[in-house]
Amino acid sequence: MTDRPGKHRALLRSALKRALILAPILPALGADTREALLLGGPAVVAATWLSLHLLPPQRPLRLIRFLALLPGFLWRSLLGGVDVAWRAFHPRMPLNPGWASVPSDLPDGGKVALGAEFSLMPGTLVAGTRDGRLLVHMLDADQHLEGAVRLEEARIARMLGQPDTAHESLPTSGAGPS
Amino acid sequence: MIDAASLLLSVAGLIFFLAGTVGILRFPDTHSRLHALTKADNLGLGLIALAVALQAESWAAIAKIVLIWALVLLAAGTSAQLVARVALQQGGAPGSGRDDAGPDAVGSTPSGQRDPAG
Amino acid sequence: MMAAWFTGLAALLLLTIAAALWRIWRGPTAADRMMAAQLIGSGGVAVTLLLAAAGQPAARDVGLVLALLAAFAAVGFVKAASHRGAGDPEADDASDARAGRAEGRAHD
Repeated sequence: MTDRPGKHRALLRSALKRALILAPILPALGADTREALLLGGPAVVAATWLSLHLLPPQRPLRLIRFLALLPGFLWRSLLGGVDVAWRAFHPRMPLNPGWASVPSDLPDGGKVALGAEFSLMPGTLVAGTRDGRLLVHMLDADQHLEGAVRLEEARIARMLGQPDTAHESLPTSGAGPS
Repeated sequence: MIDAASLLLSVAGLIFFLAGTVGILRFPDTHSRLHALTKADNLGLGLIALAVALQAESWAAIAKIVLIWALVLLAAGTSAQLVARVALQQGGAPGSGRDDAGPDAVGSTPSGQRDPAG
Repeated sequence: MMAAWFTGLAALLLLTIAAALWRIWRGPTAADRMMAAQLIGSGGVAVTLLLAAAGQPAARDVGLVLALLAAFAAVGFVKAASHRGAGDPEADDASDARAGRAEGRAHD
């Protein structure tokens, strides 16, 4: 069901993308001399290998779309900080905490990204998944949640691209028992 | 001009760190306190990173500041989920607020999802 | 002038995060203590950034290491605190919860 060359090509593509994400860390650390690159090069290779080992690629990550998501994410995390600061400083402390569970069928990695994003957005905090549903804690239990989750889920799904048929050997939805 | 922007941003950053501390001390239950820590502190660090980046001596220094900030941001989103999950599994200790009853109501009934009122 | 400002701000920031020690002292849950410790982590990173801007560029490297250690501390805490050492937020929580809580509670 999987042709080996296609699978290898997809793996190589993932490896190159991840190396592309990891490599800029080197100059940021100040490793800009030739000697530094002698050590840093292998470090990038090792980091890429470790990344592929810990989170095998399932869907191709689209770097451009990932970058396109950043401004909106930063803006919403700013709103999240302002919101919680307002509640903290307010004399009456307007809190109405509550829980909701929202189904999500993003693949591995996607749900963590969604959870991380929601944990920085105004009023929501994700506490992992149970039975394939995200457990969301809300500072205001009357907050509208479903629509926001769908919106972010769609954004992340677009960033991840279509399921890569070359990797169908791995489960693409839900989280298997680890 | 740049100095003024740095002053403003760094004061704002301090205010958000203060908000995080106030939230952690005031909020009634474990998960609400986690909201305060995650969101307010991250914004505080972002503002302070921006303030010092404006004063940085070189592009390399700016790159390092951005790296540190990105690292903390990534770690915050992920570790907030992890700590929230542990807090949920262990349940609140007696007296930690109304947080305790919630998650089970969600987890044990398949139809336990709140009605999105609208 | 900016150096003195940043140094003063770093001192104020230290006072702010020191207040979080109260939460470490009182808890009540392990997670409360852990998140207060995390606040000291991210606050400490901000302090190093301010000190670096105040004329000690080497402090930035301390901040970088502190940021890394704070992340590892959170993961370490979760591995130690959760049943069976699970820490993956994507792993289905139900089995963990079943293992850890009062037996006989019916899930699904």
